[in-house]
Amino acid sequence: MMEDSDAVAVARARAGDQDAFGLLVERHSIRLFQLVYRMTGNEQDAEDIVQETFLRAYKQLGRFESRAGFGTWLHRIAANCSLDLLRRQQRRGDRERAVEFDAEEATPAVLSDAPTPDQQVFHGEVRQKVESAMRELTPMERTAFVLRHFEGRSIEEIGNMLGAGPGAAKQSIFRAVQKMRRALEPMVNATP
Amino acid sequence: MNHPTEEQLVLYHYGEVEGRQRIESHLEACESCRAGYQALQRVLEAVSALPIPQRTESYGAEVWRQLSGQIVKTPAPPRINFAHIFRWPRLALAGGLVLLVFVAFLAGRSWPRRGSETAPRMTQTKQLISPQARERVLLQEIGDHLERSQLALIELINSRTNGVVDISLEQSLARQLVDVNRLYRQSAVRLGDAGMASVLEDLERTLIEISNSPAKLSATEFTEFRRRIDTDDTLFKVKVVGSQVRAKERDVARELARKRS
Repeated sequence: MMEDSDAVAVARARAGDQDAFGLLVERHSIRLFQLVYRMTGNEQDAEDIVQETFLRAYKQLGRFESRAGFGTWLHRIAANCSLDLLRRQQRRGDRERAVEFDAEEATPAVLSDAPTPDQQVFHGEVRQKVESAMRELTPMERTAFVLRHFEGRSIEEIGNMLGAGPGAAKQSIFRAVQKMRRALEPMVNATP
Repeated sequence: MNHPTEEQLVLYHYGEVEGRQRIESHLEACESCRAGYQALQRVLEAVSALPIPQRTESYGAEVWRQLSGQIVKTPAPPRINFAHIFRWPRLALAGGLVLLVFVAFLAGRSWPRRGSETAPRMTQTKQLISPQARERVLLQEIGDHLERSQLALIELINSRTNGVVDISLEQSLARQLVDVNRLYRQSAVRLGDAGMASVLEDLERTLIEISNSPAKLSATEFTEFRRRIDTDDTLFKVKVVGSQVRAKERDVARELARKRS
């Protein structure tokens, strides 16, 4: 069972084998969490969306086209769930809560090479600035940017995933980078 | 010398620019553009370094433990392979639209009419899918459409006004939604569902207005634009009808699950 490919597990799940779906959940959860966390910036939201994504995937298993790859299909669902959440949060005006990174659990990669105290302060400031700049992105900008920058999805793919078309996806990514640049360039280019 | 634009440099960074070789040569030759590009790279590297909370290897098992209880109650739906019906991509697109109308038409006959247990003569196609399953598909599609429309309007209304508001992104979404909306509205009219038809008509008008507006609006124009959407209560109506559709879908799903068990 453990050596089953996704395609085999999906076929079994479609035939009613819930353990096969469990295998898919176990296989894809961590990767999905990482993607969703990038998009929402909040651990609890990310965990909720991971669950929502699998539930939606299970309900829509009949619509899955195996050409795309199960992981890609899951990411598509997760990206749209995250986009929906960000939009709802924007409407409610609680985006500050959405992007509070958990400082205790998140170990900054930039601090991994035994930094000096000065560097620690500097990197801490950069990190705060990055988080703050991400907060300023619209839901569509943030989602498209994460898919391009962290996930390496092509612009065309992102346009399709978000149902916005490649032109709109390209614009969102560009606007996101512009905003990040405006916010971060003065600090990043003053590296100690 | 033609310097690459900022947008071209961003696309170059992500390997998606046209004329990559030309930009590469330019960056080698032009110190100012090279410095600009290096600054961009530093910013994006800083973004890449943003940390993610770690999850242990047992995380997947934990997610499944929490999910399995819910999933046991929901049977996996059968596979509907549209690609086998419409083999070529363009045909699939055209076919998808026809199928949409077709499903809407068929399912429309079983549109919620409480208290009327009609038993129409079944066509060969209708025997393949139960009326309730068709109804559920349609409700799911309409629910998704109303949700997407609602979110598009919310996104637009919440756009920030810093002098000029660029709504090109929302326009592109609105254009896609208009065509689908028209199909559903026509189905609702045909079925005599005046309430649904009226909401879809309001929504269509709003979506067309968004599609046909200038892509960039001044702060005053945008405020007026937003006021019109608010005044029509379109968003509120879409939300209410969307909730009703979702509730109905859940009822039908429960009924289907009950029959299967």
